Amino acid sequence: MPELNGTKLLARNVAAVRRSSALAVEQVAGNPVSTRLESGVGNCFPGLECDLRNLERRFLPFLEVEFVTLVTSAGDREFILPVAVDMEGAERAFAAGALSEQDISIYRDIDAAIATGGLVAGIQLNGTFGILGRLELDLFEFIGMPAAGPGRVPPDLWTAVRMLTEGTPVEVTFLLQDRGVTLVLETTRARYLDDNGALSAAFLPGELTQSLCSPWTHDFRDCGCFYWASNHPDIVQPVFPAGTPPQDPQPWTVDVPWQRRERQVSTNPPPSATQNSPAPIEIRHYEINRRWQELHFVMGRRETTSAFKPIEQAGKPLPDLPALLAHLRYAAGVELGVAQEYLTAAYSLKPDDDATMAGNPQLRDDIRATRSELMRIAIGEMRHTRAVNDVVRALMPPGGFQPALQVARLLPPVPPSLIRPVEFRPANRAAIEDFIAIEAPSAGVDGLYFNILATLETPPPDVRPFAAPEWTEAISSIIAEGEDHFQTFLDIREWLAPYAESDYLRSTAPPRPLPGQAEHDALQQAYVQLLENLHLGYARGRLPGASPINAARVSMIEQIDPLAHAVAAKGFLVVFDELADDRFRPIDPP
Amino acid sequence: MRRMAEIAPESSATPYFRFRSAVGEHVLIVPHSRIFDLSGDAARDWDRDGHAARETALMLAAETLGEAGLSDVVMPQPQSISLNVSSACNLSCGYCYADRGKFAGAQPKRMDLDTARAAIDDLLLHADRASPVTIGFMGGEPLLNRALVQDVVHYAEKIAAGRGLDLRFSMTTNGTLLEPADIELMRSRRFALTVSVDGDGVVHDRQRPTPQGRGSYAALTKRLAPLIADPGNVQVAARMTVRSGTIDLAARVEAVLAIGFPEVGVSPLRMSADDSALAGEDWPKYLSELTTLSRKELATANTGGAIRLTNFAVALKQIHAGASSPYPCGAGGGYFSVAADGKWYTCHRAIGDPDYEVGESGTLDEQRRRTFLIERHVHSQTDCRCCWGRYLCSGSCHQEARNRTAESCDFIRDWLRFCLSAYCELSTCRPDFFLPRTVN
Repeated sequence: MPELNGTKLLARNVAAVRRSSALAVEQVAGNPVSTRLESGVGNCFPGLECDLRNLERRFLPFLEVEFVTLVTSAGDREFILPVAVDMEGAERAFAAGALSEQDISIYRDIDAAIATGGLVAGIQLNGTFGILGRLELDLFEFIGMPAAGPGRVPPDLWTAVRMLTEGTPVEVTFLLQDRGVTLVLETTRARYLDDNGALSAAFLPGELTQSLCSPWTHDFRDCGCFYWASNHPDIVQPVFPAGTPPQDPQPWTVDVPWQRRERQVSTNPPPSATQNSPAPIEIRHYEINRRWQELHFVMGRRETTSAFKPIEQAGKPLPDLPALLAHLRYAAGVELGVAQEYLTAAYSLKPDDDATMAGNPQLRDDIRATRSELMRIAIGEMRHTRAVNDVVRALMPPGGFQPALQVARLLPPVPPSLIRPVEFRPANRAAIEDFIAIEAPSAGVDGLYFNILATLETPPPDVRPFAAPEWTEAISSIIAEGEDHFQTFLDIREWLAPYAESDYLRSTAPPRPLPGQAEHDALQQAYVQLLENLHLGYARGRLPGASPINAARVSMIEQIDPLAHAVAAKGFLVVFDELADDRFRPIDPP
Repeated sequence: MRRMAEIAPESSATPYFRFRSAVGEHVLIVPHSRIFDLSGDAARDWDRDGHAARETALMLAAETLGEAGLSDVVMPQPQSISLNVSSACNLSCGYCYADRGKFAGAQPKRMDLDTARAAIDDLLLHADRASPVTIGFMGGEPLLNRALVQDVVHYAEKIAAGRGLDLRFSMTTNGTLLEPADIELMRSRRFALTVSVDGDGVVHDRQRPTPQGRGSYAALTKRLAPLIADPGNVQVAARMTVRSGTIDLAARVEAVLAIGFPEVGVSPLRMSADDSALAGEDWPKYLSELTTLSRKELATANTGGAIRLTNFAVALKQIHAGASSPYPCGAGGGYFSVAADGKWYTCHRAIGDPDYEVGESGTLDEQRRRTFLIERHVHSQTDCRCCWGRYLCSGSCHQEARNRTAESCDFIRDWLRFCLSAYCELSTCRPDFFLPRTVN
């Protein structure tokens, strides 16, 4: 049995697979299943999806703390106040030998002091504060300093804690006021994510959102954070009156305050909001309590007064099972084709340590974000390939399934009827535009899947026996994720817009490597082996195929990724050669 | 199916069982019998942090859509019955639980046609069309009342056809009275025939003699031969009883297979009329024999062969499916046994025992059924409710549970542990072993 990745639990029997599948499809109303912590509008301002300040409440193992300003003889100062101790966890760690007798007694003392209502305060914080290095902060003295340059200190206590390097030693001196004693806890700065990138189990459900305010009535007017959720922004475009003739420039495309006092929809758009706008243009504090219901919902930046109706996206059912299978096999090929295009683009970006980016951290961060998102989307396309294969298998008679792993030669048409071949290009502007076009809702890849979905939803007679809800859901998920890909490519275009292509690409015209180029050849070998593993895994099916599928996943990280970097480092474009093997040779649209 | 009650599980009961096999480290999530492989560092992490392991196991144990709740006490419609058609037997096995069909005087007469028809009417009127319905024939030796068996089969078929039911039959017999007419009746139907056979001629004749002390092996093999040669639709299986002191399984199983049975199930005696039940020291030996035999079968299966030991084959398939139940069998739930006098009991082992009587055809006593199902739920068993094997063993046979000992429970757990490991090995080497044979 091959070594599988990380600490994964692999379902073996039918009952375990059932639970794993249930975990995979468990959904709650709200954000889509693809949402991750980092997808949210995380910030230090309340009113958003999560309040990152809550992370620091658990920067010390087994302790939950607040950062509180107390009055001292020297003035207002911030201190670390423990509010709860996870004694169960601490005692368990002590029993396991992970905590010393001295450590556990400190936790016990703090717990006892909290229980009796005594004041416990962290008054000294020593540790390694990221790029600021090791500091010893006496919190009676520490007032923070936003200054830059040598000798600088964090601007406030929360930022200081945030800067503490994960896993490094931290020393906190606690004052137990009732007993008049101080205790020094020597520990390490807790990790917020586990090895799998998931939020640490120390955080309870709801903990990251507990300090969010409900954006309602007075808050809208009172809070000056400019970070309201997207459907309650500060600045909007006004309701567009029906029948307004097109004009250039369109006067209704103006930014107006969402909370403006003048709410009548007239023939003239309301005045645009500027720094010089007179104050009374907005609803006043006392008014909003009466008039909050006049505030409009906002969709796509513009206020709306009618119920939101999503755009109907309907496909055209295919005539029969053979046509459906042909489209599905082509769809799998399209997923592979675009995944390869995205990988080529990702590896064409400058690496983090590129000397030409020195002194431009913003450029470095924008490139890093672009690369990460391109890789994420490419991985998403690979998951789609798997999902399409599952559907193909379900539609085939027993024993008749052959994995769909042929790469598409041409991509589906993008209006107005533009068909283009799979093309290996660096992430230049033209490529990004094409990525946006192919992922656009209702077009390109989406259009292909809408027809497949319609066939499964309104199945012709020979498809009907196989058209289980599971397959409709699988195709719907692919469509939903395509929408996310489209939005992400729009973001990428925005991130890269300020730069010249030569700023962010290793080379604007990297040559395609010829056979014989060592790194390229090694990459192609690994690519073929990857396809072999996928073929074996898909052919065996969901449960028995787990091992080769995992071997394929591991090889993407351990082999393909370093080899692709090596090809790019040599100045070549990362490409995947066409294969002659019948199982993997290019497939044409049906 | 009605949910009558809910019996909470013991909150401190272990939610998982860690085990290993030749292919790696694994964990059984006890509720719903889910098996996960612990790859890489997962096994070490799992064993290192018992608290986290328990939390993970509880999360994985959560019921999924369509899975029956393990705390539920449900009362399904009867879906299968056995008819104790005969109150006599032509053999005189010392260990017989049924007292040769007389059940210590509780069943003095054979069953008549009216009694049988009333039971069948009741069964077929309420049975669920979506699941098979089974009518079994027991006794005593059921073929001593051959005419009734023939009548019942034809009568039940007629009614079932009118109601669109998938009707199946079963019979447990000593096989010595099988006649061509019986074989003809069975071959064309979904008939599961269980034949009691205890080993080669010597062992069999010693354990299963006639009242006059003569052996029955020769008659059995002779009468059975035509059916073995051409079983038609009949699923023929051998059931071998293992008594204390005669635990040499390998030779006995081979002898039974040599008769031509495709597979053999072995059954250790836990209660016996002649004190031949397995006792403390017998259990480790029995386990050793059973696992040795199973290892050989496993080796054959790993290289493409079949498993011929029914206990092992069934255990592997149930583990694969994630079989998980608070009851060891359908007794009192979907299954009942009807005595010759028409009284319904929770199972064929309980005939004549007033504690397990649940009424008559057409008038089942719901309160008594409910009480039985609540009392026999594994969450009600103080010995069992915390055991990791609780949803696989489910407390074992209701009738034998009172004879449970520490040794017999250790045997069950050790056997389950062996089967779990064997399953992981076989499902790695031969994933096709667990694929459905036919796809509808």
